[in-house]
Amino acid sequence: METSKSLLPITRITKYTLIDEVQQRSFVVMFVFCAICIFLVRGCYQGNYMVNGQALDAETIVRTLSKATFHVIGAGVMVITALLSMRLFRRDRNEGMQSCILSKPIARWQYVMGKILGLWVLSTLFMFILHSIVFLITSINLKVFMPGYLFASLLCSINLLFVVNAVLLLSLLMSEIVAFLCVLGVGVVGFVSDGIVAASQSQIAQAMVQQSAGHPQTDLTWWKIVYFFWPKLLGVQQLASSLIESKSSHGFVPIYPLFNVLIYCLILGALLFKRFRNEDIV
Amino acid sequence: MIELKNVTKRYGSLTAVDDVSFSVKTGECFALLGPNGAGKTTIVKVLLDFIRPSSGVLSISGIPSTHAECRQSIGYLAENHHIPPSLSGWEYLMRSAELLEINRSEAIYQCNRIVELIGMQGRENTKVGTYSKGMVQRFGLGAALMGDPKLLILDEPTSGLDPIGIREIRRLLESFKDQGMTIFLNSHMLSEVEKICDTAAIINRGKLLVKDSISAIVKDGEALEDVFVRLVKG
Repeated sequence: METSKSLLPITRITKYTLIDEVQQRSFVVMFVFCAICIFLVRGCYQGNYMVNGQALDAETIVRTLSKATFHVIGAGVMVITALLSMRLFRRDRNEGMQSCILSKPIARWQYVMGKILGLWVLSTLFMFILHSIVFLITSINLKVFMPGYLFASLLCSINLLFVVNAVLLLSLLMSEIVAFLCVLGVGVVGFVSDGIVAASQSQIAQAMVQQSAGHPQTDLTWWKIVYFFWPKLLGVQQLASSLIESKSSHGFVPIYPLFNVLIYCLILGALLFKRFRNEDIV
Repeated sequence: MIELKNVTKRYGSLTAVDDVSFSVKTGECFALLGPNGAGKTTIVKVLLDFIRPSSGVLSISGIPSTHAECRQSIGYLAENHHIPPSLSGWEYLMRSAELLEINRSEAIYQCNRIVELIGMQGRENTKVGTYSKGMVQRFGLGAALMGDPKLLILDEPTSGLDPIGIREIRRLLESFKDQGMTIFLNSHMLSEVEKICDTAAIINRGKLLVKDSISAIVKDGEALEDVFVRLVKG
């Protein structure tokens, strides 16, 4: 009874957050622009592609391109979510909704929870709709059915929760644009470092390392520690995209990135609640 | 109803509120007076838990102001009230009702009653972005009245209103007072305060100068304005 009583204001604030964001013209423009871009990409699925002189079959093209599109949408929606999150508290403050809500019998944690959930649900829906467009194009037009595509989209929403929590927290500590850039920086560094690690594990890189084995090696242990603990946003996307594959021949997929990002979400969420508890409502 | 004990609020080296203690009884119409920057709005915000005091204790109906439950029967109107421009006045009132867990049919009834009370019939369904400052202030007051609060905290309620609007607000406040509602009024309009309020406190530079009934503060042949100027100028 007590739980449902404290959940009710959260669902209301979640609803208001969703409605207020959807009513923003900038949100509508972003959504329409993204949807048009996804539709325009559909022409790429029907091209002729050659790899090492061999033409790829239609299904391989569709699967490869839809996976690439999956990652692009995932990363793009993360940026859009950061943009939406950065001005969330400021707009609520400027438009008087913050003082309207908090002058009612609503605790600060309920307000913050409602805001987080509202933005998370909105950005997840945004990404899910874009992924659904790809799913429908490949299923209906190209007759390539990938049932895991939509599950993968939902799994990727963990990244969006990370972005929401991180930007909301940082926007309380610094200017919104700096908060946005910081989280963008975390994402870019994570993507680049994951790319470098993936490249370094390739056969060519391994051969180069063996050739230079005689040379003194610099100690990169602390880099490895930083890399290990860095938010694994790309890792979650890769884990999610592994669900797209119908065959399970790709072996073991590490689930560490999922734990990594979930733990970050919990830590950032806890810090956000703690910071907002002491925030002056002006 | 309201109790402040040794409340101090510091912003770095600046003391906005300095060891202020007073209480407001149930059914009392109380005015907090002071020049600009005296700390009136800070006291209101500390009371609503918008700002945490550096030291001191505040309670509303015996419940510490840090507990959300104490705001169950409070109506609050902020100074320079803002409403999201994408909403209509009606939607804003409905949101206020929803946040107070008022059921839909009761909320519609209360919204209709409040729209009539604040004199905004016919304008409630247009977007707030098209409203004047005074109209926003009226809807802010309307939202504060939602759920028939026992305590009304009004921070400069007549801000942005024309003389007719000011008179209407005064009449409304008088009727709320007659209904037994406790009113905490933060205002510069000393003539209005003198007409409506039973008690007043004057603060300057965060310090409480006086807290008493209006009749005790205002001596024979003086106006509240004279007392205010005399006390503030020291």
